[in-house]
Amino acid sequence: MSEDRAGVVFGALADPTRRQLLIALAAGPAATATQLAAELPISRQAVLKHLAALSEAGLLERERTGREVRYRVTPEPMSDAVSWIAEVGGQWDRRLASLARTLGPESSAQRGEMPR
Amino acid sequence: MTDRIERTLRLRAGVADAWQALTDPEMLREWLADEVELELRPGGDARFRSGEEVRDGWVEEVSAPYRLAFWWARGGAPASRVEITLTELDEGSTQLRVVETRPLELIDLVGIPLPGQGGASYGPALLAAA
Repeated sequence: MSEDRAGVVFGALADPTRRQLLIALAAGPAATATQLAAELPISRQAVLKHLAALSEAGLLERERTGREVRYRVTPEPMSDAVSWIAEVGGQWDRRLASLARTLGPESSAQRGEMPR
Repeated sequence: MTDRIERTLRLRAGVADAWQALTDPEMLREWLADEVELELRPGGDARFRSGEEVRDGWVEEVSAPYRLAFWWARGGAPASRVEITLTELDEGSTQLRVVETRPLELIDLVGIPLPGQGGASYGPALLAAA
C-alpha cells in the first residue's frame, strides 16, 4: 500500500461514525444505506455521505441489484489492520467517554491512527 | 511494524485524581472493564473482564502519577500494549494520552505460563532479561 493510499484509508477511519459503519458491515452481509441507517442513530443522508468516504478510500465495494445498492467491506490484506484499528479505536472512544463522565466533563479529544 | 491507535483526552481532574482513576480497582470498574485486577508493579499480573470477555496480561511500567503501561490479550488473540500517560496542564486539568499498539513482529508471549512460577508468563521474564 502506498503512503498516499494509507493516508486516505486512515483519514477515512478517523471518524467514529465511519468506524461504526465499517464494523457493522464487517460483522454482517452486504447492506443498503437504508438498512444501515436503521441500525445506527444517524440519518440515511449521513450514512450515504460516510459510505461515499469509505468507498473512496477503497474500504467498501458497491454492488447494484436493480434499484438497490448494497455495500460490503473490501477483502484485502490491509483489512486485518483496518478492522483492528476500527475496533480498538472504537473501544477506547467508549472507555474514555466513560472515564470523562467519571472524572468530569471532557473539554477536548483528539484522535490519531497509524498504519503498520 | 506495528498497528497503532492513539487518543488524547483533556480531563477536568488533577493528576492525582486522574492517576487514581487509572489504578484504583473501584474506579477502573467505572470505565475500563466490569472487573479489573491490576497488580501495580512491573511484571505484575493483570486481568480484565467485561461481560463474557476476559483479557489476561501483565504490567510493564508503573510510574505514579504519570505513566502506566500494560499488555493484554483476549484468549487466543495476539497481545497488544497499552500505554497511558498523564500530563498536568494546570490545576484541576490533566491531559491523558492512551496509545495501544500491536507489535506484529513479536511472538505472543502473554499467557504462556513459565514453568513453576504460578501465574507469571514469559512476557515479564523476557522484559526483565532485556
